[in-house]
Amino acid sequence: MTKEELIAYIQENFSGKIELIENDMAEPYFLVPAGEIVAFSRFIHDDTKLLLHFLMNLSGVDTKEQFEVVYNICSYRHKHRIFFKTVLPYDKAQVDTVIGIWPAANWYEREAWELFGITFVGHPNLKRFLLPDDWDQGHPLRKDWVGRDVIPFPEV
Amino acid sequence: MAEQLRTETMTVNMGPHHPSTHGVCRLILTIDGENVVDCVPDIGFLHRAIEKICENRTYPQCIPLMDRFEYVTSMMCNWGFALATEKLTDLEVPERAEYLRVIMGELNRIASHLLCIGVTGLDLGALTPFLYTFREREDILDLFEMTCGQRLTYNYIRIGGVARDIPPEFYPKCRQFLDKIDAKCDDYEKVLTENPIWIARNKGVGILTEQLVLDYAVSGPSARASGVNFDIRKHDTYSIYDRFNFDVPVFHGCDSYDRYRARMAEIRQSARIVRQALDQMPEGEIRAKVSPKFKPKVGEVYSRVENSRGEMGFHIISDGTVKPYRVRARGGSYNHLLVTPEIVKGLKIADLVAIFASLDIIMPEIDR
Repeated sequence: MTKEELIAYIQENFSGKIELIENDMAEPYFLVPAGEIVAFSRFIHDDTKLLLHFLMNLSGVDTKEQFEVVYNICSYRHKHRIFFKTVLPYDKAQVDTVIGIWPAANWYEREAWELFGITFVGHPNLKRFLLPDDWDQGHPLRKDWVGRDVIPFPEV
Repeated sequence: MAEQLRTETMTVNMGPHHPSTHGVCRLILTIDGENVVDCVPDIGFLHRAIEKICENRTYPQCIPLMDRFEYVTSMMCNWGFALATEKLTDLEVPERAEYLRVIMGELNRIASHLLCIGVTGLDLGALTPFLYTFREREDILDLFEMTCGQRLTYNYIRIGGVARDIPPEFYPKCRQFLDKIDAKCDDYEKVLTENPIWIARNKGVGILTEQLVLDYAVSGPSARASGVNFDIRKHDTYSIYDRFNFDVPVFHGCDSYDRYRARMAEIRQSARIVRQALDQMPEGEIRAKVSPKFKPKVGEVYSRVENSRGEMGFHIISDGTVKPYRVRARGGSYNHLLVTPEIVKGLKIADLVAIFASLDIIMPEIDR
């Protein structure tokens, strides 16, 4: 399906719950509320016209006002891709895990938890793995995190 | 007698410093005699915070960092990052630069597959293929040294083109290498493909079903050895790959043996692409004008290239300044290591080594 067909098909099935993010990317990009993540993922994974089985990437983002979790998914069968993201408030960064749908999300979510402090509810194994076991200096990929050895970039 | 013997499982560490973990990876194994009952990978020993460092550097300064993201195929890491940035800016890359990128990328893929095949043999106790493949890999590294002065971390593919043109003596040397690589592949096949020990150790070992491939987002030759016909170069084409004739080798054995055969077939296809690229390459500019204080427009991109161990993707968010707001790098090994526990349960420790090698797991790509 082309980008327009994908957008029309998904919006038809999930009308009112999701929002399209207008951009000039080659892929449709949706904003999905945190409560709908699992239902939406289940739909795009199982629907025979979409079959988005392949979770390419999941990244946490700190926008300084809120957290975002971005999901990039593609289909081996139909060769199309869609992206979607969810927005989480700073003081309650929680979203349901999608491990049950894409087991590949396991380490991606664990990493986002470790480096951003985003909790994935229902994740079986939220434990440190990239940072040292005795790390106590917070979540390094947050924008307000200041490391000991970070030299500020000169103004240009 | 057997009933009176008490048996219990034992937990042992394989690694972090184990020669067959190809980097520093610790596998916490629960074993029952020689059989693996459970396997828990522990990573992070090579974590260098590349994603965080990128946020404090300009885009061109990020390119040498990407060399370290996955140092076995640095050309393709450079390429992936440059491609993502160019997509963000709609930057036109000169024709000749695209050809140079393809030539370097495919040569790098051959070098990486040669390393993988040689090291798999080494892990299984066959020293000969290792020496053979490294002999040919050396020729490729000489070509790279001639082009950019480096043998491991190239910093050659830059935003908007490549760093410098290839010297005239590159052409005969490269053609000479391409002329012999097919014959050399035949040699490796003689030593390995029909070798009864190689078959006994690899055939039917480490079954990675198509379902596991989809669930765990396994990509690259490992996925294509499980019957998944997907190659980013062909099905989500980037750069100028649509101009070349090449096949995507797909195998259906799902085992270590077919993963090895898929890599071997890919070496021949890559050589085919380089030959065509050398024939078609035009003269001209090799780099678009890009300022060191280069600012992409505000936006977001996820772009991917076909690396030798799977999909290599870069998710870059730009806020319109000289520095990327967020960089997320995704490598194929990450998912390969995640799926390893699923396929090794019930097998012997020696098979675990063979599977680990056949999935071509490289640790820097996982830890970043």
